[in-house]
Amino acid sequence: MNTLKVENLSYSYQNASGTQKVLDDVNAEFKAGKMYAIVGESGSGKTTLLSLISALDKLQDGDIKYNSKSLKRISGQEFRLKYVNIVFQSYNLIKYMTARENVEVASDFDGRKVDPDKYLSKVGISSEEGRRLIGKLSGGQQQRVAIARALASNSPIIMADEPTGNLDEDTEEKIIEIFKELAHKENKIVIIVTHSRQVANKADKVLTLRRGKLS
Amino acid sequence: MFKNMLKRSFLSIKRKFGRTVILTLIFFMMANLVLAAFIIKSAVSAQMDYAKSTLGGTVSIQADMDSIRENQKTEMEKGGDPREMFKEMARPSVDVNTANEIATNYSDYVRDYSYSVSTSANSNNLETVETKSNGGGMQMPGGFGGADGKSSSSSSTALDTDITISGVNAYAYIDGVKNESMTIKDGSYFDEDSTDKALISYEFAELNGLSVGDTFTLKNAYTEAEVSLTVIGIYDTSEERADANTIYMNTETAAKFLSTEDYNNGNYNVDNVNFYMTNSDKAEEFVSKINSDYTSLAENNLKVAVDTSEYDSISGSIESVGGFANTILIIVIIAAIIIVTLIVMINVKDRRYEIGVLMSLGASKKNVIGQIIAELIIVGTLGFILASATGTVFAGTLGKSIVDSQTASSNSQQEKNFGRPGASSSSKGSNSGMPEMPTEGSDSGAKNMKTKMAENRNNKKVELDINAKVEDYLLLFITGYLVIIVALILPSISIMRYQPKEILAGKE
Repeated sequence: MNTLKVENLSYSYQNASGTQKVLDDVNAEFKAGKMYAIVGESGSGKTTLLSLISALDKLQDGDIKYNSKSLKRISGQEFRLKYVNIVFQSYNLIKYMTARENVEVASDFDGRKVDPDKYLSKVGISSEEGRRLIGKLSGGQQQRVAIARALASNSPIIMADEPTGNLDEDTEEKIIEIFKELAHKENKIVIIVTHSRQVANKADKVLTLRRGKLS
Repeated sequence: MFKNMLKRSFLSIKRKFGRTVILTLIFFMMANLVLAAFIIKSAVSAQMDYAKSTLGGTVSIQADMDSIRENQKTEMEKGGDPREMFKEMARPSVDVNTANEIATNYSDYVRDYSYSVSTSANSNNLETVETKSNGGGMQMPGGFGGADGKSSSSSSTALDTDITISGVNAYAYIDGVKNESMTIKDGSYFDEDSTDKALISYEFAELNGLSVGDTFTLKNAYTEAEVSLTVIGIYDTSEERADANTIYMNTETAAKFLSTEDYNNGNYNVDNVNFYMTNSDKAEEFVSKINSDYTSLAENNLKVAVDTSEYDSISGSIESVGGFANTILIIVIIAAIIIVTLIVMINVKDRRYEIGVLMSLGASKKNVIGQIIAELIIVGTLGFILASATGTVFAGTLGKSIVDSQTASSNSQQEKNFGRPGASSSSKGSNSGMPEMPTEGSDSGAKNMKTKMAENRNNKKVELDINAKVEDYLLLFITGYLVIIVALILPSISIMRYQPKEILAGKE
């Protein structure tokens, strides 16, 4: 079974008042086929943990392993390309592209060819909407396009940072169902960082970050 | 992946239309300036070649006074005969066969050549024009190297050696022809085949009632050589110093006035031997070849000297234009690198977020930089193509005006020094500034100039192409792409330092 392990992960920031430890000896194991929710107060280190697991930032102490492959041994770019895809709170879509083109970008770097309409329709974006530039879509639609892009990626790990933050309740419900399907039917590891208790309650496992410690 | 990279580049160019237009305009303006500099450089290079071919320098064979003085000193010390020494002091000359042979053997170097035979004559039947200096007396030969004495309309009986015989291998090298002070009032100029034909002054003709076709006889008072001459043309001159008693003819005819000994079976000596170079750069090489192949020249107290002052005088100004073009080119290229670097840096900063997204999706930094390069090369190509279309008008006009001014200056020099009628090699191949031949004699002028060198010169038309050439466009594109690549160095370094989290965190 595909497994993502976080081992003794610590992370500190340097600021004017000195060193601030954000993550303190965090250990966790994420298994394929399950959806995880990481909750915690603002500043608890949720986004830092997400950044490290997504290889968006460099490890300081500890290790992250996917099927025993250490993130220390492969480049962040390779890890992101092969193993992880991220849905950002602020969508992070490319503005001069249409929704379809944004979804297609997900496969630009691994040589695959994807049908963007297939993934857009999964998140409720019509073919006509898919041909609009990102700026012509609402916040909710943009969030769904970002999720469609994650769906279109071939990554076994899907990380999502507040993926439903800009969505209405109905859409939130639908999106969470999609994430669950990704975990349960496509056997991916889905990790959602959220403030929402509602979203967290739908996860298979909830992890809480408190003062840099994961419980 | 390369295809996807290009696809993203095209999308960015197409969708960010305003930015694309601004970038294209910037590249267009830069390219125009670069192209202008290349056109000027190319025009200057053409102009330098033109000047080299028209003002290619002169190599002359002249008396080696240092050597003569040294020989005299040695002879004096040995107690030599002063009369012999005086003979040594006589101006050394080159025999005509050697002069012709050098010109023929080194036709690659020699565009044209000239020499003269000067002597004097008199006649019992003809009167000479009285001039301020002669008062009817003896004249020193000076037709080729500069006529002496001012003519007047009064006359005196011809006494002794009043008439100057000036033989020139080509009439173009008569001073009056060169400085355009001489015009033909009747008949025509002589040429190499005009045996026993003479060109006389208007005053001399009037005084003696001579006209074209008339025959008269002159005798050298010293050599007793008597030659019967037919008037081929009557000249007039606006030159105040001109001697109306100078009769011009070809060297073969003039040599007939020499003594049998001096005539030397046709291998007589000639003075003022000048070889006009095809290219001033070759002058020194030509001199060393003559020195090695014709050692007898040095033995006879002759030396071969180079004079490229005409070329040097004009090349300075042309080179200054070339230097100016180089300065423009360097400034424009540096400015282009700085401006494009700044634009790309601003562009990269604006696109940090996009770069971060692409990197978060697994794009390598090389892929991201490649996309930006591809975009700039596509937009740059658009700008360069537009500049190529309009650059010919803009930069070409600038280059043309500079070259025209230089050409005018070069032509002026060339006419002053070489003005052989019918052989002008101005940029348009015109005969500007040259004395026109009378209609009747025009065919016997330039066309009958059978000297091989003169014919070569007649056929030589230097076409100055100041329009942008294929090489200029090629250089423009190469320089443009190099500027883009150099301009991308700094922004690329900043991209290489990016961590996607920093970019995305910055955005958030």
